[in-house]
Amino acid sequence: MTDNSLIIANNISYKINENKLFHNLSFDIKGGRALHIKGKNGSGKSTLLRIILGITDPTKGSINSAASLQICYLGHKNALKNYLTMRDNIHLLQLNNHIKLNKYLDLIGLKKHLDVTVSSLSFGQQKKLALLRVFLNSSNLLILDEPFVGLDDDTHEQLTQFLSNELIEGKGLIFTSHIPCQIKSDLLELNN
Amino acid sequence: MEILKIEFLKLRKKTRIWLGPILVFWLIMIAYPLTVELLQDRLQIGFFSVLWIAILISMMLATEDIFTEDYNDGSLEQTIIQESSFQVGIGLKVFVYWFLIGIPVSLLSFIFSFGTTQNFELSLPIFPLSLISSYIFLNIFVLGNSLSLNKGSVLGALVTMPIALPVLIVLGKGMTALQFDINFESFILLLLGSLSIIIVLIPIVVSYIIKAHLE
Repeated sequence: MTDNSLIIANNISYKINENKLFHNLSFDIKGGRALHIKGKNGSGKSTLLRIILGITDPTKGSINSAASLQICYLGHKNALKNYLTMRDNIHLLQLNNHIKLNKYLDLIGLKKHLDVTVSSLSFGQQKKLALLRVFLNSSNLLILDEPFVGLDDDTHEQLTQFLSNELIEGKGLIFTSHIPCQIKSDLLELNN
Repeated sequence: MEILKIEFLKLRKKTRIWLGPILVFWLIMIAYPLTVELLQDRLQIGFFSVLWIAILISMMLATEDIFTEDYNDGSLEQTIIQESSFQVGIGLKVFVYWFLIGIPVSLLSFIFSFGTTQNFELSLPIFPLSLISSYIFLNIFVLGNSLSLNKGSVLGALVTMPIALPVLIVLGKGMTALQFDINFESFILLLLGSLSIIIVLIPIVVSYIIKAHLE
């Protein structure tokens, strides 16, 4: 591992049955850099993220992580409990004592819904709640799967700004997105 | 400690999940004397068999969806990604289920036992026996539930039911020993020994099974 590298992928391949999703992918994520993974539906973007996260094993190749690596992941599934209130979910995420919690609740406009059950929130509001995990993260690598889906223009802009600031602070970012965004990033396009 | 608090909060808010098995146990025990005619004055003859089977069924129901929700909403993925030990998390989750379901069922076991036998000395050991057996059953059915995580919980319960049968046999033998006052403590120790192995092994095995499901 080089000094600033968070993750190094060496010749990663993945296939489902005989269908090759990607073959011999190699890349390096350094602190302060972003990698935007693009591709059509079913091209393996989420699978690649799961391989980076260590949830799925690649068919071939390996992922090397920095010893100090701490990951914040937001996937398609929000990991929220629909039957609990927003306040309880924030407790579950262990963010209830975070010093910046109120600031971000104000920013995304959810402060007045703290005692509303998550099932009563709209899709976009649920997404914003899930984004608190990202806004209040204490990790050095952010891995986000379609983070802009369901967000209004204001929150889209706030998230873009936030992620850009995180990059300036030296954190790494890997994300997939079909929605155009203004984050300065390297591009990895998966097209079989 | 924080994991314990979180699991407690999650289960406490899902009233149907923890109250349902307790009510089923209660209903079975209430129904027992109503369905026995010839033995009305000797209810204790079949009582303990029904008691153990009722505990078995209520623990099976308790674990019905123990991982399904976390699997479906992505919480399991988050747990695996975090540095904290997944095995310990599973062990604590089972403990919380036992605390909120197993302990009330064990208390009810003692109450129904005393109500049926009118014998305090015979009923008192039912409480520790129920505590231990309910924890063992929970662990066994958690294993089954993890095996059939995305295929429905009934399949998993059926697969692991044979593992629960020896526990039922030991419970039956234990009750015979208690009634004839012959070395009952050795059965308690046998169950405790089994439990001490199970509470360590099952979370480890279950964690590997769940990781395989997520992959």
